[in-house]
Amino acid sequence: MRNLLEIKGLKVNFYLGRQVISAVDGVNLDIACDEVLVLAGESGSGKSVTALAITNILPRSARITGGEVIFEGNDLTGALEPDLIKVRGKEIAYIFQEPSAYLNPVYTIGAQICEAIMLHQNKTAKEAEEEAGALLEQVKIKDPGKTLLDYPHQLSGGMNQRVFIAMALACRPKLLIADEPTTSLDVTIEAEILGLLMDLKKKIGFSLLFITHNLSIAKRIADRICVMYQGKVVEEGARDNIFASPQHPHTRELISAYEKIGKI
Amino acid sequence: MVSYITRRLLGIIPLLLGITIISFAIIHLAPGKPTTLEQSLNQKVSLEARERLDKLYGLDKPLHIQYINWLNKIIRLDFGRSFGDNRPVFNKIAERLPVTLAINILSLFFIFLVAIPIGIKSALNPNRAFDKSATIFVFLFFAAPTFWLALLLMNLFGIKLGWLPISGIKSLDFEYFTFSHKLLDLAHHLILPVFVSCIGGLAGLSRYMRSSMMEALNQPYIYSARAKGLTENQVIRKHALRNAILPIVTIVGLAIPGLLGGSVIFESIFALPGIGRLFYEAVMMRDYPLIMAEVVLGAVLTMLGNLIADISYAYVDPRIRYKNNS
Amino acid sequence: MSRKLFLGTLIIAVFSVIAILAPLLSPYDPSQIDGANLLMPPSARHLLGTDSLGRDILSRMIYGARISLSIGIIAVGIATMIGLIFGSIAGFYGGLADSLIMRFVDIMLCFPAFFLILAVVAILEPSIFNIMIIIGLTSWMGPARLIRGEILSLKEREFIQAERAIGASNFRIINRHLIPNAIGPVLVNATLGIAGAILIESGLSFLGLGVQPPVSSWGNILIEAKSTLGIAWWITIFPGLAILITILGFNFIAEGLKEKIG
Repeated sequence: MRNLLEIKGLKVNFYLGRQVISAVDGVNLDIACDEVLVLAGESGSGKSVTALAITNILPRSARITGGEVIFEGNDLTGALEPDLIKVRGKEIAYIFQEPSAYLNPVYTIGAQICEAIMLHQNKTAKEAEEEAGALLEQVKIKDPGKTLLDYPHQLSGGMNQRVFIAMALACRPKLLIADEPTTSLDVTIEAEILGLLMDLKKKIGFSLLFITHNLSIAKRIADRICVMYQGKVVEEGARDNIFASPQHPHTRELISAYEKIGKI
Repeated sequence: MVSYITRRLLGIIPLLLGITIISFAIIHLAPGKPTTLEQSLNQKVSLEARERLDKLYGLDKPLHIQYINWLNKIIRLDFGRSFGDNRPVFNKIAERLPVTLAINILSLFFIFLVAIPIGIKSALNPNRAFDKSATIFVFLFFAAPTFWLALLLMNLFGIKLGWLPISGIKSLDFEYFTFSHKLLDLAHHLILPVFVSCIGGLAGLSRYMRSSMMEALNQPYIYSARAKGLTENQVIRKHALRNAILPIVTIVGLAIPGLLGGSVIFESIFALPGIGRLFYEAVMMRDYPLIMAEVVLGAVLTMLGNLIADISYAYVDPRIRYKNNS
Repeated sequence: MSRKLFLGTLIIAVFSVIAILAPLLSPYDPSQIDGANLLMPPSARHLLGTDSLGRDILSRMIYGARISLSIGIIAVGIATMIGLIFGSIAGFYGGLADSLIMRFVDIMLCFPAFFLILAVVAILEPSIFNIMIIIGLTSWMGPARLIRGEILSLKEREFIQAERAIGASNFRIINRHLIPNAIGPVLVNATLGIAGAILIESGLSFLGLGVQPPVSSWGNILIEAKSTLGIAWWITIFPGLAILITILGFNFIAEGLKEKIG
């Protein structure tokens, strides 16, 4: 399998006043085409920052201070903004933790999906709207025509996450980065969303970088698992190996947490 | 949306009642009790005022009857006659209102025009040179009494440089000017007053816009917008700005009492024939019917301003416009 | 202590000392009329010049500091007390009391404060005492809303629930827990309020409807500024600067406190 994305020695610092905080400290990871890589770790371990650093959409106070992010042979950390915006949304797309907060409250669902379509594809407004409807159907939304005219606050969290997935897949990205996309949803909705993601992956084909602190999700969907702890990747391996013989103490903690939940 | 507006409209009824009751209570602070008459320096004026008040409000009747009679009159916009020239108070206010409205609307326009870009620019580069100097100006403008700034500006532009007129709204030979010349003359006279009445609002709104924009820029949907592949410019214009600017609508409503209060001071300084100066004159002459009418009018204008601001906000913000119809 | 808080405190401390020691510091009797020295520019004899009656501006300003500062502080004291009472009743008891009080707040907020103050002054005659009370009575709504909001959020916190569970009286809870906890934001609000009250007083006095001569306040020294515009710059500049610096001082303290509370 060819590697779609290779991250080498990535370092990200936060600059808060005179304080410098290292959030990601030399992370290495790679994702093959069509692979599902789960990046696991407790909150604050640097998973989300790593994800945002891939296309450099970090908060203002954060900066990449070292390493490379090689996507299809090009180093994105050295790329200029005009080249990066051609990658964002088109080649690499994101879905986030709280879909209702990550959708803009003042625009309709339709407007936000059409924006994503028209940004990277040469389509008229009308074509984009039809496409948006088709995308909503693809994520199993029942009444796409009506939903396009709705605002995010009118939909449930689960529905908004479907919308978000539709928007992320609008330009057929090669890599989908999912940052805890089900954490804010309840368990039945979580299962639905995970099922939908895996279906779509089978149907359309993309690599998935899935970030979570919940190893039960990893068990369900991962090909491989990377465990992050305090800004570093502490363990990496095929899913079954990780569960069978975890090496790092933090991995064991995560697994035992998952087993406890399983028992309840 | 419709139910929201209905609710807001019904809400003004108790407000109007409250406004009139408080205004009515203030009238009853007026001289009339024997003690205040004795202490008053000018007994003759007070006695005369007292008689006229008696006639106007029927002060010999029980309180609730007095209130209802008075309410009955002011609903029909009958605020009585001025003690000064015996003309209906309503007419006196009506002829002065346009000047005040014009100045305040112009001020609001310039406040928005200038403060919003300043706030945005500050928010985009916080703690940089521009933001820091804007902050210093805001602090100074907040701290300086407007009438004092007016005096300084009058001294500089009116007296030292002689560029701008410092009093009145038109030149003495206004009647002989052509139409465009008249407009220019009015504008010329309004530069200083409008500038002075802008200052407080300018400082306040630019601060508000700064924090509103900074907050918007930190919202999760900004990350989504970047992740989509929008340029930073598009992210700011399409996604942050729209959200940051919506709440500004409500500021218009909140600004009204300050602007009206301020108009008393700067209309007096610049000798402008608006309701602020009229109010000042009424206070100086103890022209109670005029004072009360202005107090009621000021409160009603503020209330209407708030109402319009709230309804417009509900209209521009989809979260209120389409409240949970699911 | 932050730079702002330090600077603000320093400014206000200096002005307060000046106000307290006014009789010792002022070079002349502030109402001493001197026909031989009308409208004198600043000189060694009159550091900040004299007004059109020959009164020493510096002395009038030193005594004016007393009036302006005490009006600001007492007016805000009144407003904060009223706000504290109404706000804690509304926030703590909720229900009918809350809606009645908050409606009253809404109604009061409709009146342009300056209109209300002027109307009352017109009727009651301006005096220092009346001005303090009127400013206080027209500016308690902000503190009331603030305290109500603080209390509503504190009420849900665990230690209050615990107090309730052990059967503490409402009065005890308000007095011992809620008010001490809400005091920070109230202090910030009060500091800004003093600045606002001093501005209102100066405006009123400038219009001739505030502190009445011969007593001096910073605002009423400025009454002469308009008629002497272009003739006696010192009458305009110095009292205005005193107001500006004092307001800056209070605003700095408020900002500094706000940063400290977080």
